[in-house]
Amino acid sequence: MSRSEIVAAAAPREGFVTEDGLAVAIGLAVFALALAAFAGRDWLGWVITTAVWTDPAKALAPLSKAYGALGGAGSLDATFVILLLALTAGAAALGRAAGRFAAAFSAVFVIAYASWFLGSWAHFAAVTPADQAKFGIGWSLKLTNEGGYIVALVVGLVIANFFPRFAGWLNEAIRPELYIKIAIVILGAFVAVTAAGKLTLASSLLLRGLAAIVEAYLIYWAVVYYVARRWFGFSREWAAPLASGISICGVAAAIATGGAIRARPQVPVLVSSLVVVFAVVEVLVLPWIAQTYLSHEPLVAAAWLGLAVKTDGAAVAAGGIAESLILAQNAAEGVKYQAGWILGVTATVKVFIDVFIGVWAFILAYIWTNYINPAPAERARVGEIWARLPKFILGFVATFAIGLALALTQAPPGLAKLTSAVGEANGFRVIFFLLTFFSIGVLSNFLALWREGLAKLAAVYLVALFGFVIWVGLMISWLFFAGVKPPLAS
Amino acid sequence: MSEKDLRDELKAAPEPLLPIEKKLIGWSLGLGVVLLIALGLVNRLLPAP
Repeated sequence: MSRSEIVAAAAPREGFVTEDGLAVAIGLAVFALALAAFAGRDWLGWVITTAVWTDPAKALAPLSKAYGALGGAGSLDATFVILLLALTAGAAALGRAAGRFAAAFSAVFVIAYASWFLGSWAHFAAVTPADQAKFGIGWSLKLTNEGGYIVALVVGLVIANFFPRFAGWLNEAIRPELYIKIAIVILGAFVAVTAAGKLTLASSLLLRGLAAIVEAYLIYWAVVYYVARRWFGFSREWAAPLASGISICGVAAAIATGGAIRARPQVPVLVSSLVVVFAVVEVLVLPWIAQTYLSHEPLVAAAWLGLAVKTDGAAVAAGGIAESLILAQNAAEGVKYQAGWILGVTATVKVFIDVFIGVWAFILAYIWTNYINPAPAERARVGEIWARLPKFILGFVATFAIGLALALTQAPPGLAKLTSAVGEANGFRVIFFLLTFFSIGVLSNFLALWREGLAKLAAVYLVALFGFVIWVGLMISWLFFAGVKPPLAS
Repeated sequence: MSEKDLRDELKAAPEPLLPIEKKLIGWSLGLGVVLLIALGLVNRLLPAP
């Protein structure tokens, strides 16, 4: 989330829709268009997809063979133009400058997709010896085809730290929270179709995720708040948003807490800047640690990333990378798990965390307005729980519920159509993930953060995150998910 | 908030922990640990399919 985006989230809205409302509208539109498959219509098959390549001319293609005539370049152009039109209209509805957004988004899309293309090069993406033999190559970084996310993130980091003026020009279209919220709404249907095949296991995972989150809220927040207040001497106004940002869910939680305790708007904004930077570090490190140490406990890894990585974008993105790495590692050892379960658990844990942000903000508002800064006119009302609920979650719930209902009621031919439709929607989910990764990178100007005097805040974050949050998250994930495995691929 | 303001503010003398803050930390942590143990036991008794 860019500084301007954070300020916009903390301030009254300028346009006639909120970012959450826009994310739900776009996500549901993609899902609805995909469902046209039930009527024998293929309305999204033109979306671009990139295969792992050694010959770049053969890498790009439309997702559906029905649109094969478009070719790779035609599909890429169509995807770009449709996204440009839809998101520019969305930016205008948010009250942003449409022209500036369109220009910046064009550059963002080109750079991000070029990164994805590069990440799909066989020397980066091929994982198994069989893959290497197939492509006729002697070495590979084994990043999987989702290594393109990391390439996009690194390119974004380079732009942020070495070309800050260009990063500033891109800023209008650097909206990672919008992109990831759209992706999460689309992801709801994908998770539903995946879960429908093993409903008992999926229900069990939901309950385990819920238990893990309650623990994380109660334990994380208290400890981080204590550390910030007693060890680092922060005031209550700084410590509460900081504790929420570090322990719960980054930007959304910091802003909700800032509002709940009636902090000055700039406090959660500065905390949020810090959250985004640390989220980048986590995305660059934790999926590989998960692959190295938790590949035999894939769902422990999934829940751990959901609990440890802050901001929705970074957490779900880390889950996506970890899924690719862990599935590839297991496949190399002869165990083929179904795709979707690791990412599904990470996303579900993160969505549950978001659901509780409103409840936690209400508890803090009640304590602050009644005991710490008593102000009868500003007393917290139960309505704050709804007001502070991130509404894009409703989109995730809707696509999940519709997807699950359809999956459970369809005969095999209908189920095949549904799977294909969700696959096409998933093509857009990949692109919105990619835009999220690149945007997070562009936001992460480490030098600027240091210059702004946030070193002390960063120290709390460092101590809390790497000294406590990550390890407690791992322990809780292990407690609730150890021994629970994704179904094997048939 | 200027950079100088922020630096000064972060260096300001610490506010003491109020009893209500101690209560919030204590209850939150205590409830979390108790629930962790309880739900952990339930989890052991009801293994995943």
